[in-house]
Amino acid sequence: MTLRRKIESNQFVVCGEIGPPQSCDPDDIRDKAKHFKGYVDAVNITDNQTAIVRLSSIASAKILLDEGVEPIMQMTCRDRNRLAMQSDLLGAAALGIRNVLCLTGDYQTFGDQPEARGVFDLDSIQLIAAVATMNSGFLLSGCEMKKAPEFFIGAAANPFAEPFEMRLIRLHKKIIAGAHFIQTQPVFDLEVFTRWMERVVEMGLHERVAILAGVMPVRSVKTLNWMKKRVPGMRIHDDYINRMNGAREPEEEGVAMAVEMIRTLKDMRGVRGIHLMPAMWESITPTIIREAGLHIAQ
Amino acid sequence: MPLLSELAPLNSYPITAGERRFSRLLLFFEDVIKVPLFRCQHCGECVLSSTAFICSQNCPKRLRNGPCGGTGEDGSCEVFPDRKCVWYRIYFRSRLVHRISLLYKINRIHNWGLEGTSAWLNVFRKRTEAPILFVRDDRRKVKDILSDDAAKKD
Repeated sequence: MTLRRKIESNQFVVCGEIGPPQSCDPDDIRDKAKHFKGYVDAVNITDNQTAIVRLSSIASAKILLDEGVEPIMQMTCRDRNRLAMQSDLLGAAALGIRNVLCLTGDYQTFGDQPEARGVFDLDSIQLIAAVATMNSGFLLSGCEMKKAPEFFIGAAANPFAEPFEMRLIRLHKKIIAGAHFIQTQPVFDLEVFTRWMERVVEMGLHERVAILAGVMPVRSVKTLNWMKKRVPGMRIHDDYINRMNGAREPEEEGVAMAVEMIRTLKDMRGVRGIHLMPAMWESITPTIIREAGLHIAQ
Repeated sequence: MPLLSELAPLNSYPITAGERRFSRLLLFFEDVIKVPLFRCQHCGECVLSSTAFICSQNCPKRLRNGPCGGTGEDGSCEVFPDRKCVWYRIYFRSRLVHRISLLYKINRIHNWGLEGTSAWLNVFRKRTEAPILFVRDDRRKVKDILSDDAAKKD
């Protein structure tokens, strides 16, 4: 069953995430795909994340598709203008890619080529609206297409960045623009996430869009500390850092933490799925899915 | 989903050479006000009225529809941590002056052809939307926006 059908029929979904390699080796993606196949409903393919050049997300998504894994192609506004984005979207649709996640993108100075020109011709909300327009059969120029793509549109939300209320306004805008599902930043602060989710439910937004909560399993306290310091908009509660610090087997503790988080999020009102982001640790996915008691996707 | 006409640039007639000269003259007077007051970036498509009169084009990503996900806990910009996120300031100023309902509006895609031209002239020539000067009953408007959309869904 596709991600779209599953979300539309109100089933709990699980997404994974793969970062393409900094080379042209397709086997790298195929190897990572093995850890997800049969365990998750769809897998995100990042688009030059942290502003570092990688195998393109469209090509990677096609490789996943050939492996029998449903891809969610990420598209950022940093690298392309409106012409390139529409053309790439048409190309992706022609290759059979059905899910697209619209993001603004990390600023170019975060990567290893900070002197690059950032494009940001559209912002993520305008990109969502542009994809929705294309779904309705029109390009942004107003030109009518013979065949319209049928994208299932995703967007991101960061409940942990300030100002809190502005995040809800932005979520609302993304829904109005045409988003079908939302993936959140990884949750490392349950108190803030719960507060955010309560507001989402209060505003009735959870009925209009499927919210997939982000979960990131970590291997060591070093990763947590690094993220806390370096990843903008990330909020990590000290409890998790202390817990990882005191763990004798950090990897096992990391799994336990992710499993606990999934169980808590699964029971939270309004959460319709999990977005698992095992960055650099893809092989742990089957263990976490099994231990969390999530059904194995068909 | 916004209509294409609400999303794509309001595409009217091209700027003629004569108009461009007039635009330059007008821009001189516009700058006297807008640069010291708002740090205007000359996008030519002013959205100041919907951003509580803080120029959103000072955002490094030049976002027109709200902050990216990188605003720090103290409201710092992810690109220049020593600065406040422009949209952080816009949100709190909007709350202060009761213009929150305007933040719900999706601003249209920027027409880069208008870069460096007079926004006042562009409003007059209907290349951009007219500014919204007064907002009454902001709280009720927000409520209406939220309930309106809920009603549309059913």
